Amino acid sequence: MENLKRELKEQIIERLNLEDVNVEDIADDMPLFGGGLGLDSIDALELIVLLENDYGIELTNPEEGKEIFQTVNSMSDFISRNRK
Amino acid sequence: MSYISSYCHISSTIYSVNGQVANTFESGTLDEIISELYTSLDIKYSKFHKMDQLSKIGFIGTELIKRDFPAIDNYGENDIAVLFANRRSSATTDINFLDSYQDGGIPSPSLFVYTLPNIVIGEISIRNKWFGENMFTISNHFDANYFANYCDILLQKSSEAALCGWVNVDDNKIEAFFFFITKKDIKQLNLQLNSEKLTEIYRAI
Repeated sequence: MENLKRELKEQIIERLNLEDVNVEDIADDMPLFGGGLGLDSIDALELIVLLENDYGIELTNPEEGKEIFQTVNSMSDFISRNRK
Repeated sequence: MSYISSYCHISSTIYSVNGQVANTFESGTLDEIISELYTSLDIKYSKFHKMDQLSKIGFIGTELIKRDFPAIDNYGENDIAVLFANRRSSATTDINFLDSYQDGGIPSPSLFVYTLPNIVIGEISIRNKWFGENMFTISNHFDANYFANYCDILLQKSSEAALCGWVNVDDNKIEAFFFFITKKDIKQLNLQLNSEKLTEIYRAI
């Protein structure tokens, strides 16, 4: 699980062009949106694409995203339960 | 009567402010040159890295004008019009977006949002909280007459000043020219706005 979390942080930084952010800057329980990492709605769409492209998980219900994308912890937990 | 109170040029090899060369670039890819420009100006704006090349150059050009003309901060949020133009619209990003899903991939949302040229004006307006008039036009060449006439109308009616830009990022080249128009010759550059003067300084670098 720790490897998956690190991998996710690296992917988030690369895909969302967070050039001023390092892996170490993203705590496992840091909110990804709002006051934490400060991601926006376009970033949320990119995370949905990331799930599908890299983990074969298609989000059919956008409402799920609110829970899944809260933190790296919640993302990694969802991926480990649903990856194909 | 209006005046050109600040102007700057950005190319793939050099940038200048009011006709004075401010810096030159080592050769590199367009992304490397833009990154060098951003770093050298010590700008801190995390959303910059998400922008496409057109928006990045528009953003940097605006920062150069602001630094040369700090009194820009004295204008109200509706006072400054933003008037940009280029010859290729957002074609470079349009093609990148097409490439993102052509081989069965999923279209990239972050590329999609830049598939309109006027997004550069949006980025500048968000950064500076400017809510005045704005316009982005497509033209084969820099049309000094268009800019001079449009600014005259804007400054007679709804705007106190205008930030203008001819912003081209295509074929791995940058060709950008920004100028700030005011009602008074505040910096005493003695550059009264007309198409001849605009053409002259556009070609100066």
